[in-house]
Amino acid sequence: MSTAHLIAVGASPLGKTDLPGRDLFSRALAEAFAELPDPADVVDGVYVGAQSERYENQIMQGTLMAEWAGLRNVPAERVEACAAAGALALKNAVRDVRAGVHDAVLACGVEKMTAGGTEGATNALGAAFERALEQRSGITAPATYALLARRYLHETDATERDLGRIAVKNHRNAADNPRAMFQDAVDIETVLDAPEVAPPLKLYDCAPVTDGAAAVVVANDAVAADLRSRPDAVRVAGVGSAANNLAVAERDLTFVEGANVAASTAYDDAGVGAADVDVAEVHDAFTVCEALLAEAAEFAPQGRGIETVEDPEDRSAGWTDVRINTSGGLKARGHPIGATGLLQAVEAYEQLTGRAGQRQVADAETALLINEGGVADAHTVAHVLSAN
Amino acid sequence: MTDTDFTTTGPLAPEDITAESPFTLPGFFEALAEGRVVAARCTECETQMLPPRPACYACGSRAVTLSDQPRTGEVISYTSVNRPPSAFEHLAPITVAVVELDSSARLTGRVAASLDEVTIGDRVELRVCDPEDVGIDPGFDLSYETEWPVHVFDLV
Repeated sequence: MSTAHLIAVGASPLGKTDLPGRDLFSRALAEAFAELPDPADVVDGVYVGAQSERYENQIMQGTLMAEWAGLRNVPAERVEACAAAGALALKNAVRDVRAGVHDAVLACGVEKMTAGGTEGATNALGAAFERALEQRSGITAPATYALLARRYLHETDATERDLGRIAVKNHRNAADNPRAMFQDAVDIETVLDAPEVAPPLKLYDCAPVTDGAAAVVVANDAVAADLRSRPDAVRVAGVGSAANNLAVAERDLTFVEGANVAASTAYDDAGVGAADVDVAEVHDAFTVCEALLAEAAEFAPQGRGIETVEDPEDRSAGWTDVRINTSGGLKARGHPIGATGLLQAVEAYEQLTGRAGQRQVADAETALLINEGGVADAHTVAHVLSAN
Repeated sequence: MTDTDFTTTGPLAPEDITAESPFTLPGFFEALAEGRVVAARCTECETQMLPPRPACYACGSRAVTLSDQPRTGEVISYTSVNRPPSAFEHLAPITVAVVELDSSARLTGRVAASLDEVTIGDRVELRVCDPEDVGIDPGFDLSYETEWPVHVFDLV
């Protein structure tokens, strides 16, 4: 089996932009290939993560993105698992490189979420929920996660303030991330006084509607060695994924089992454990997710995931010293659905290659990425990345 | 909870899977319109599944049969959809809950009560409604869904 490396990354501006999806992709591609030859001379396959054709009335994103990269007559596929689509693109690229199917593959993701306003995004995202009983009950993404949050607050000592502090922490991290959609810190009172979207979740508990794209070049040893100096490539050490039930009603509301399986699989694949992870980007689409995923990734004891906001020395016994969502997370970096899993990889790449500027975690050598789609762990993809 | 007069036990044969069988959505909603909540019951591990399906997610067995469900249960979690999808806009805020029926089957549904009237552990009873009476935008339904009822929970 070949080893897969991330040899270059790029991202578009994140937020409400005047660029359609293909142009957002062009921005991400231009950054990723700034120091590389033409994509046609590097990669021989493309995966595109894209949540929904409802935003731009465009499917066939594999063909389109390949074409915009100057690639023709190569395998190019769109993959879909709602918000896990980006990591699914990465997973498929890594699989192809590991298996020797391709020497290098482009994994990218794109979403033009603001095209139909908040209503358009709400309706497009609604397609991720089970149709027969749940969509027909009028649920939304915030409401389904509120069902998790309500139960979490019921079963643990956590409070709405604890959830709010996760948003405060991620806004603070984003203020140090030039890529982030939100560059301003917020205080806890602002978070707690914000309008309720789906109680107990309020506006700042929810990731924003975001336009954006990201691109990552995945290559085998030979291509990586040819194009990049060793410290500028990051090794994909482990991959795992799992699908849990689609309906939220049939899930354990306070333990995201699918995410635990995906992370454990990725740890085993990489030969590491949770305690080895220095930095983690986890899918904080809603604040409660960060707590649930800290527990599912085995960073935190059950019921103590809310301590993700604390410095390692101030956390309960049983916590690791991992730093979580240094990018600002989905909450504050932004959450362009199909691109999010790759934006997580961008942050990990920057942390593991010493490019993370003011948010650099000293001596970061191992990163965990957890990207989810549907409600919570309906689909989870996990990657472990290691510095070379 | 009792097994229904549908005596089929899986693995289902292709001819078992017709629009008349509650193992399909048309059959499930036809039974619901008659006031019957029909789940798939795994004969290996007793997991109850709504709507019915041909295999058990808990143990993987296809030895599933149909099981009439009780309409009473309790609230496991709840919230209010303050900004619903456009087809449900005029119903806002919508109280929704995950309910565990007394059989252990779980499903999500609207609750006919305001948010501050609901708490975890509340007893509820499932009621079957005509979508037109609820006031969901008829444009929401796909062509094959227009006759399907919707359910709502009443506090009891």
